[in-house]
Amino acid sequence: MDRRATFWMLYLPPLLWLGAFFLIPLILMFAFSFRPDMRGDFFQLWQPSLNQYTKLIATGSYWRLLGVSSLMALAISVSAVVLSFPIAYFLAFHGRQRVGFYLVLLLVPFWTSYLLRVMAWKIMLGTEGVINSFLIYINLIQEPLTALLYNRNAVVLTLVYVWIPFATLPILAALQRIDLSLFEAAADLGARPLHQFLRITLPLSLPGVFAAFFMVFIPTVGEYVTPLLVGGSRGSMYGNIIQDFFTKAANWPFGSAMSMVMLAGTLILVAIATRLINLKDLLE
Amino acid sequence: MNPKKPLHNLLTGMFVTLALILSACGGGQADVPPGELTGTLSVLEWAGYDAEDFWVDFKNTYPNVTVGFEIGISDADIYAKMAAGNQADVFHPYSGWLQFYVDEGLVEEIDTSKLANWDKVSDSHKKLGQINGKQYFIPWDIGFTSVLYRTDKIPEGVDSWAALLDPKYAGHISMWDDGPGAVTISSYIHGYDETAITAEQLASIQEEWIAQRDSNLFYWAGEPELQEGMRSGDVWAAYAWQGSYALLLGEGVPVAYANPKEGRNSWVGFYGIRKGSENLDLAMKFLDAKLAEATGNNVVNLFYYGHSNQDVMKSVTDPTLIEAFGLNDPDILEKTNFTPNLTAEQRDAWTAMWAEVKAAP
Repeated sequence: MDRRATFWMLYLPPLLWLGAFFLIPLILMFAFSFRPDMRGDFFQLWQPSLNQYTKLIATGSYWRLLGVSSLMALAISVSAVVLSFPIAYFLAFHGRQRVGFYLVLLLVPFWTSYLLRVMAWKIMLGTEGVINSFLIYINLIQEPLTALLYNRNAVVLTLVYVWIPFATLPILAALQRIDLSLFEAAADLGARPLHQFLRITLPLSLPGVFAAFFMVFIPTVGEYVTPLLVGGSRGSMYGNIIQDFFTKAANWPFGSAMSMVMLAGTLILVAIATRLINLKDLLE
Repeated sequence: MNPKKPLHNLLTGMFVTLALILSACGGGQADVPPGELTGTLSVLEWAGYDAEDFWVDFKNTYPNVTVGFEIGISDADIYAKMAAGNQADVFHPYSGWLQFYVDEGLVEEIDTSKLANWDKVSDSHKKLGQINGKQYFIPWDIGFTSVLYRTDKIPEGVDSWAALLDPKYAGHISMWDDGPGAVTISSYIHGYDETAITAEQLASIQEEWIAQRDSNLFYWAGEPELQEGMRSGDVWAAYAWQGSYALLLGEGVPVAYANPKEGRNSWVGFYGIRKGSENLDLAMKFLDAKLAEATGNNVVNLFYYGHSNQDVMKSVTDPTLIEAFGLNDPDILEKTNFTPNLTAEQRDAWTAMWAEVKAAP
């Protein structure tokens, strides 16, 4: 079999899959965002209209919420990366033969459903929850704290927890690629451990760090399940509003327009970030 | 000569044969005893109602018919799915969400003479399933909406819908996550005509609910979430259906169901048949069985909702349920406001209003 045949045999299934279940829905959503309303047959031709975008532009609160959601995603991804770095560092340099075992430990929570793990945070943070009961038990507070759950902080806290194990993996992969002889050479030349970290470990781990950052940031901007469960009345993110237009408003055209704006916004942010960071240089 | 002709003939022949076989099957179906009737029926249903308890009469009468369920998470979701060409034969919308199915030709008119249980449904409920004078929907489950509250936390009681917006209960209120629901409450409180809300009224309703967020702990999406909040004592007053009231009361949670001075809200769930359904006959049988007694009793006893079959309601003896349905109060229906049907414009405006409430700074 020639190389070309092998290439297509390997690439065709995923290409078809992505085409059918990612690209076509995305194109449909794009087309839908130019539909004046939900009326009429689903696959009829419609007069393209900028109705949805005009309405969206005129509604300041949606733009503000997109900004807030991006800032939350930024806080969550930075926190997740900072907190997962030491874990990855430990696994890469001190895990030795037990690395596999530790990795399994890290991923054990993922054997349960995502919803269950988020619900567990409700039990942690609730007024009769673990944290409040403990604080009352040690007499630090008399009345349960109500500020723990049903707000944006609870959303950030929960999402950071959810993402830490995922963020660890690309950082670990980058750290494991570092040639250990570099450290010996640095030590021979008199570099102290902190110096070695700053000059060798950190720079060489950056591709993994940025990969982890984007892996958390991009899906978090559009997050909607966690805010729904622990965010309360003031914890909605942009993704919740999109979801509402699809499931509570039967207004797919407007929901599609909101999704397109978010997609464009995220792409622009990522483009600016990659330009600033210059990933290519890092990788070389 | 056209070389493709033989193939064309062959195909035509196959189609004709297939059509003959199908029509033969269809023609014979009427004579098949119920126990031997086969086929597949697809139902777009709410989570929970797919349990066999809620279609037990159909299951027992037609054991060899396969019923498949697809779950919708809200009226909007079910409508959007049907509009998008969902092939479900039967679907389950609620009060307020009926008009567009008729306007857009998504629902089949129902020949009620074919429903053996139709006589057991009250005229007032039958009427709610009629649009433009025709019976498009079959009323099925029935309930109230009112303010459910903890009697230990609010000993003075609740006598108005305004309790859901009262800063006195800040941090302990839970509203249903629903725009039209919010418009309904504000209309009751301010005496607006719910069928003719003006743009100014809608704007002031929006302001009112934005301010309400400071008192609202969370918007509930599913009843278990609300029930847990009431049980734990985090929620003192909530927008609720009587199923939650009956459930919590049965568990011994100190709760009461308000009789607001503006009147309770009342709603009905309906079944409709998709226009063009190939399983019209089966769908009719399904609807008829939905109205039968064993199914109705399960709706009452398991979910604490009312059922459109009056014989079912007359046989209720459980005092908790009698209290929950207000069966001991002959004036209860006069103190109740039925949800009117939304137009497409109202649906879009009211849901957008709610999205802006949730997105507000």
